[in-house]
Amino acid sequence: MKPPPFDYSAPTTLDEALALLLEHGEDARPLAGGQSLVPLLSFRLARPSHLVDLAGISELGSIVVDDGHLVIGAMVRERAAERHDDVRLLAPLLAQALPLIGHPAIRSRGTIGGSLAHADPAAELPAVALLLDAELVAQSRDRGKRTIKAADFFSGFFTTALQPDEILTEVRIRRPALRTGSAIEEVARRHGDFAMVGAAAMVRLEDGKIADARVALTGVSDIPVRATEAEAILEGAEPTDEAFATAAEEAAKSLSPPADLHGSSSYRRHLATVLMRRTFKLAAQRAKEAA
Amino acid sequence: MQNIAERYTGASVKRSEDPRILTGTGCYVDDVRLPGMLHAAFVRSPSAHARITGVDVTEARKLPGVIAVLTGEELDALTVRGPGAAGMFSAGLPMPSFSVLATDKVRLVGDPVVLVVAESRYLAEDACELVVVDYEELPAVITQEQALDPAGPPIFEDLGSNVLVRSPVATFGDVEGAFARADRVVRAELRQHRHQNVPMECRGVVCSFDLGSGELTVYSATQGVHIARTGFATQLDMPLEKVRVLAGDIGGSFGLKLGAAREDIACAAASRRLGRPIRWIEDRSENLTASGQARDESFEVEAAISNEGHILGLRVKMIIDTGAYPGLGGMLPEAVKGMIPGPYKIGALSFESTAVITNKASYVAYRGPWASETWVRERMIDLIAKELAMEPLEVRLRNVVTRGEPPLQMLTGRSLVGVTSRESLDRIAALVDVEAFRRRQAEARAQGRYLGLGLATYIEAAPGPRTPGGGGGIMGPEQMRLRLEEDGTVTVFTSQMPHGQSHQTTLAQIAADEFGVPFDQVRVVVGDTDVVPMGFGTGGSRSATMAGGVSLHGARALRAKVFEVAAHLFEASPEDMDLAAGAVSVRGVPARAVPLGEIARAAHEPGRVPRDLEGDLEVTAEYDGGEGGWAGGTHAAIVEVDVETGQVRIERYLVAEDCGVLINPAIVEGQVRGGVAQGIGAVLLERSAYDPDSGQYLSSTFMDYLIPTACEIPRIEIEHLETVPLDADVNFRGVGEGGMIIAPPTLCNAIEDALSPMGVRVTEQHLPPCRILELIGAIALDP
Repeated sequence: MKPPPFDYSAPTTLDEALALLLEHGEDARPLAGGQSLVPLLSFRLARPSHLVDLAGISELGSIVVDDGHLVIGAMVRERAAERHDDVRLLAPLLAQALPLIGHPAIRSRGTIGGSLAHADPAAELPAVALLLDAELVAQSRDRGKRTIKAADFFSGFFTTALQPDEILTEVRIRRPALRTGSAIEEVARRHGDFAMVGAAAMVRLEDGKIADARVALTGVSDIPVRATEAEAILEGAEPTDEAFATAAEEAAKSLSPPADLHGSSSYRRHLATVLMRRTFKLAAQRAKEAA
Repeated sequence: MQNIAERYTGASVKRSEDPRILTGTGCYVDDVRLPGMLHAAFVRSPSAHARITGVDVTEARKLPGVIAVLTGEELDALTVRGPGAAGMFSAGLPMPSFSVLATDKVRLVGDPVVLVVAESRYLAEDACELVVVDYEELPAVITQEQALDPAGPPIFEDLGSNVLVRSPVATFGDVEGAFARADRVVRAELRQHRHQNVPMECRGVVCSFDLGSGELTVYSATQGVHIARTGFATQLDMPLEKVRVLAGDIGGSFGLKLGAAREDIACAAASRRLGRPIRWIEDRSENLTASGQARDESFEVEAAISNEGHILGLRVKMIIDTGAYPGLGGMLPEAVKGMIPGPYKIGALSFESTAVITNKASYVAYRGPWASETWVRERMIDLIAKELAMEPLEVRLRNVVTRGEPPLQMLTGRSLVGVTSRESLDRIAALVDVEAFRRRQAEARAQGRYLGLGLATYIEAAPGPRTPGGGGGIMGPEQMRLRLEEDGTVTVFTSQMPHGQSHQTTLAQIAADEFGVPFDQVRVVVGDTDVVPMGFGTGGSRSATMAGGVSLHGARALRAKVFEVAAHLFEASPEDMDLAAGAVSVRGVPARAVPLGEIARAAHEPGRVPRDLEGDLEVTAEYDGGEGGWAGGTHAAIVEVDVETGQVRIERYLVAEDCGVLINPAIVEGQVRGGVAQGIGAVLLERSAYDPDSGQYLSSTFMDYLIPTACEIPRIEIEHLETVPLDADVNFRGVGEGGMIIAPPTLCNAIEDALSPMGVRVTEQHLPPCRILELIGAIALDP
């Protein structure tokens, strides 16, 4: 469990880091907290010949509010985001999700951008980004900045739309509309483990009916997925337990989750149903309270 | 020096180990640094079962920084084959011969094949990647069914089949009569899943062969330095006297670190060949994959019962999967057979067993190695209660022995003197209030919430009652040397090798009380074959009685010797000596007291005392266990199962345990809690999983093999019963294994009780959430 040899750079500016990625091409990997990449190196499952450590780049480390958007720098530690007032106010779902990631020690090192770019389908942040229609800003030295919608960002198991010479620099989240409630729940074998299945839901109420319902799932596919059948069923419906149960059951029918040691495919599908129902209900309740 | 107003024994004296361990100044084998030390890594088998057809180490040898690459064949020429460490458990059993590293075949995923020695562990692992081993795949033998199939490929050709040993039916009492007389027969096939010791510190060794003296020094994480020394000497073909084994702080073991492992021998042989120290620190992948696993058994049980809930007879068939390289697994059925009646008046028993070999990690001792007897018995009792619609507690109370009333012996022979299972059951019943719980359970069910109560009871021979042949349990008597030093302190040399048991505290407490010095003036020396007495080491919950007892008797003997020397100095009688405040005086004349250190010095000065008392003021004591005795207790759990997700929450966990006189209550409770935590892990989290077709090991990381963390362990309420003194002096009994033995049945019983409205019958020990929903019928079994 020792990594193979690699070179290591610790740039202090984004420009330097982008130049290094360009220079080393596919052999280089950005290091953004290391909570996933370092174990992969130790198992010799990832073998980059050059690590570009982003930890010293202060321009990636801030949280600001810009034109109704919460803008989180890619190197903001998960623990710092969790404790940030603007995150709680402008992105309540993200604030609810962050404490579910690992343990405080892990969140103190792990970064928002690192988790998104790692794209583990069992992780919380990709699903949250998907649900919130977050915008992910990527930058390369040659092509400058581009904005990628979360729905277009995750392309497969541990794979994203990022090019080898690109660094994810920030994530932009629009503040939720009025009368919106959100919830996230998951089932993990132990406290702090990657969940077998997780569900994040957001419900917006208008005149007592559901104007908008969204749900994203972790652990049921190679990427985080939106359960659009459930969302369609709920739009315009009364926010009743029966409606949520029906929507969850219908949406789960089309899932064929992967099986592993911790749970069968049937179990994960069942969990998805239970968690969608529970999070819709809780989100709707919070939407009512917010009104 | 202070006056000793109170006894240390029985008080929660703060551990003398803690300051160094908690401040990071302990010394583990990983902290040992020797000049010129090299680092080892092993090329291990990627296959469960394959023939080795070629090994090419050319490229690995060329890598800069690599000092040596030794193949299995090369190491075979440097070492003696044999079962090695495992052999100590397997006297009289068929035992295949095997080499230190694999030569002809690999027999499990992770079997060591080639040893690489390099300037760093990083370089050694780089070189491992350059070794090319050609394999011819063989069918993997993974399940018991595959192992029992006579057409299957024998893992050891010299054994001819994968059945290691088949023990014929042993009968105790009138089994046929019991079943003929029975009102009912309850049958179950019970499966105990494979899981494993996961010490915080993995295995490790630093081997240093001195070319000048021809001596081998080994720093090892081991439960017993003398057993380890025997292992090294035997497999390196060296005289015992040329091998010295040292051990320092150890980060847990639970039965794993016994003797000299195959990897240890390989490193020692390489050190002898190279004349340089070699260090091997097992990493977690190696540890989970190849260090050893335990508890892989299945049982067919029939219980003949009366309608009143009396157990008239049991028929038990056991199959144990010993993994690839046979050792402890082969002899365990004997222990299970002997203990399966437990503290109950079971009328008759028949028992037969088969031990099989498979392409899985070798079976090793794990905290209460025979524990499946308790799980099977305590599970059966709940199934009997279910059959009769009786309260499980009531079935236990109707069958459990009562102190002082017949039967005075277990059906299988052991004396039941001092067993307090009934007392612990009564205490738990009072703490839980079973009737009140049943009312609460009914109310909760009406609201769709599923609560369950489980309890289970056990006894453990720790060390076991005195037998006509003598005490001491199965590992023989315990020795100790004790010496009064010139500064007035007492040094205790013990063969115990604490790896979490706190002997440097507990043995000092006992010796301080008995000798009559403050606790901090007793120093406990462990872990050096050059200075500690011969002995097994630490294991089998034997230390409390055996080492505690020899510490007491040894301190008493040393005090007598000190008085004898002092009597000469005072020209008085030893009977008139008195020890107070660190000084000896003639009773009634405290003004003329002589400090202890002065007495030790006097013994060193020629002519001050008679010749036969000159020299070190030292005694060697031996203790045979005295009257011995049983440890035991009853645990109870109240759980709530979320029937939508299958998650189990432990609402309350209670322990009523009896380990005799407590030496240090805080340490006893630490042992109980640790054991319970491992038991909770076994039921809810831990499983050593193999692919049944390929034999690939599926639990090789901490993302797959889940151990409980503090978040998963509830508050554990502990009550101590100190019921029966059997011995005039020594009534401490072992407590290390109990929690791990009894927590799994306690929890399984509670979960089954919670799910009883769904008709769930629990016949397996591992109950992760997915499995619970399958048992309920909420989800289908995946194909």
